[in-house]
Amino acid sequence: MTTVDTLAAGWRPTRAAAPFTRLVWSELRWIFRRPRTLVVLGILGAIPVIIGLSVHLSGSADGGPPGGEAPLFVTFASSALALPVGTLSVTLMFLLPLTVAMVGADAIAGEQSHGTLRGWLLAPVTRGRLLTVKALGVAVAALVAVTLMTLTGVVTGFVLGGTDGLFTLSGTSLTVAEALGRIGITISWVAVQLFAVGAVALAISTFTEHPMVVVAGILAGDILFGVLLMLTAVDWLHPFLLTVSWTTALPDVLRDPIPTGTLTEGALRAGCYMLIGLSIAYARLTAKDG
Amino acid sequence: MSATDIHARGATSTRGEVAPTSGGAGADGAPSALVARTRGLRKVYRGAVAVDSVDMDVPEGAVLGMLGPNGSGKTTMIRMLLGLVRPTEGEVELLGQPMPDAAGRALPHVGALVEGPGFHPFLSGRENLLRVAAAEPLLATSGTRDAVGAALERVGLSGAADRKYRGYSLGMKQRLGLAGALLVPRKLVVLDEPTNGLDPAGTREVRGIIGELRESGVSVLVSSHLLAEVEATCTHVVVLHEGTVVAQGSLDTLLDSGSPALLVSTPDAESAVEALRRNRTPARLAPGGVRVDLTATEPSTVVETLVRYGVAVDEARRERTGLEDVFARLTQADADGPAPDAEPDHVVMREVSS
Repeated sequence: MTTVDTLAAGWRPTRAAAPFTRLVWSELRWIFRRPRTLVVLGILGAIPVIIGLSVHLSGSADGGPPGGEAPLFVTFASSALALPVGTLSVTLMFLLPLTVAMVGADAIAGEQSHGTLRGWLLAPVTRGRLLTVKALGVAVAALVAVTLMTLTGVVTGFVLGGTDGLFTLSGTSLTVAEALGRIGITISWVAVQLFAVGAVALAISTFTEHPMVVVAGILAGDILFGVLLMLTAVDWLHPFLLTVSWTTALPDVLRDPIPTGTLTEGALRAGCYMLIGLSIAYARLTAKDG
Repeated sequence: MSATDIHARGATSTRGEVAPTSGGAGADGAPSALVARTRGLRKVYRGAVAVDSVDMDVPEGAVLGMLGPNGSGKTTMIRMLLGLVRPTEGEVELLGQPMPDAAGRALPHVGALVEGPGFHPFLSGRENLLRVAAAEPLLATSGTRDAVGAALERVGLSGAADRKYRGYSLGMKQRLGLAGALLVPRKLVVLDEPTNGLDPAGTREVRGIIGELRESGVSVLVSSHLLAEVEATCTHVVVLHEGTVVAQGSLDTLLDSGSPALLVSTPDAESAVEALRRNRTPARLAPGGVRVDLTATEPSTVVETLVRYGVAVDEARRERTGLEDVFARLTQADADGPAPDAEPDHVVMREVSS
């Protein structure tokens, strides 16, 4: 079909696209304007405070530096290092994955159900770009959730235990700078794990227009993985499960020196999940009708 | 022609070329260029044929009404035109660009309201539009706020702009959708059932907006199942039925083509038919008189003939059917078999039998 005679005056539209940063800002504003996001972030931020206070008030942690390897919860209350790390490792089981699943669910399935996904495609924003924006949104949401929890945890720890309580599980004590360094490692590692969950959530999100399906899917997967990890009969499967290092990796941050094996392996595993999740999301998004 | 001027200016300013003043010559005075066209378009959803072998033209500067009963393929056509759906077969060209592959070129110049307005309930109307504006390629970042304000003003939503979308009435939602389509000056605006949920005043306003768009040289494609709406706003019509185009052309031609007939009231109908047939003018009995086919003759000739043969003529008037009759005739023909007087007209009517 010739294109010559279809428009007068040889006018030919040139390719145009909205600036990428503007799209990302708009997406972030949308995520963080959402009342649901704010409520969940508020709850997440309060958890370290609640845990810290309750352990502190119950008085179980009132002792000097624990001799040898003490249980994680015992060192909680008076440590600005252990409290955030401990809280993150507890919430990484369900609460944090659910938060990311929620954002991933709204990102595509939620937009589809409101008829707003079509708006992006009509603007137009190419589907690859759309997925990039959405993935960045999920990544930022994960990072914000983790950072917020860590911050309130650190502050609570400092208030309750001062700067003296920075003991590792191995019994050595750390300077504030060293402790903050380890907190940085924790934030990054947990955020990477969560983004892997987010990538899977985005993939599920492209298959449905019901955000609930995405959240339920992630929750079901989380529980299923937990069950599988308890079954020794399928231990050949365990290295493939994202959650396998979730319980064991974080306490490593509190040891001195840090054993890097589990942490690195967990990060690489998360990377694989990200790659697979985003690939499925891309394939599905580019093929689907708008 | 003003639309051509706009293109010529656009071409000069963006590409520094002097553009030819006329495009391909259209037949019988039709606009010479098309903003959209489809050839042999077909879409099958899981074995169900939604649209089949559709050749549709959207002339530049026209307000094209896409008519058809529910399920006749209107929305599927629009979705294919806009590149949201890939056709099973056939070609779509939008602003001269093949769709959906060149969506990045064509769509920035196209405003669309498809399948109802889509917005987020927890944001205000203004915030929703700002979000839409952020994705508009032709909008400068510094100009988004003003563009949103102007669009809200244009659809009469300025007063409710900062209320949550959740609390909007159906009509306000529809207006916000319209505002989204008008954020940027467009070449083509596509409106899928734009007056859905609007009260009569709102419907008039939408008509007004469509009129303004046409005056400023913007082409408009409106789908509707409301015939009066199309009759009141459109210059061109395409009638869809069960996924195929049963008629398309300018509204005037279509209306005339539906009724090239003269109704003659006479007490002496039998001899009137006799007289006319002897004169090789097709005529048949009708309630209260005769119905004379005007395809090959003029009303004055008919009356003259009748008088010459001594037939008393009480009244003679042109059969002036509205779009409703044309529509009913076109869309019912399939079900009932071709009606005796539904001869497809030579120019505009193309029966597309599957």
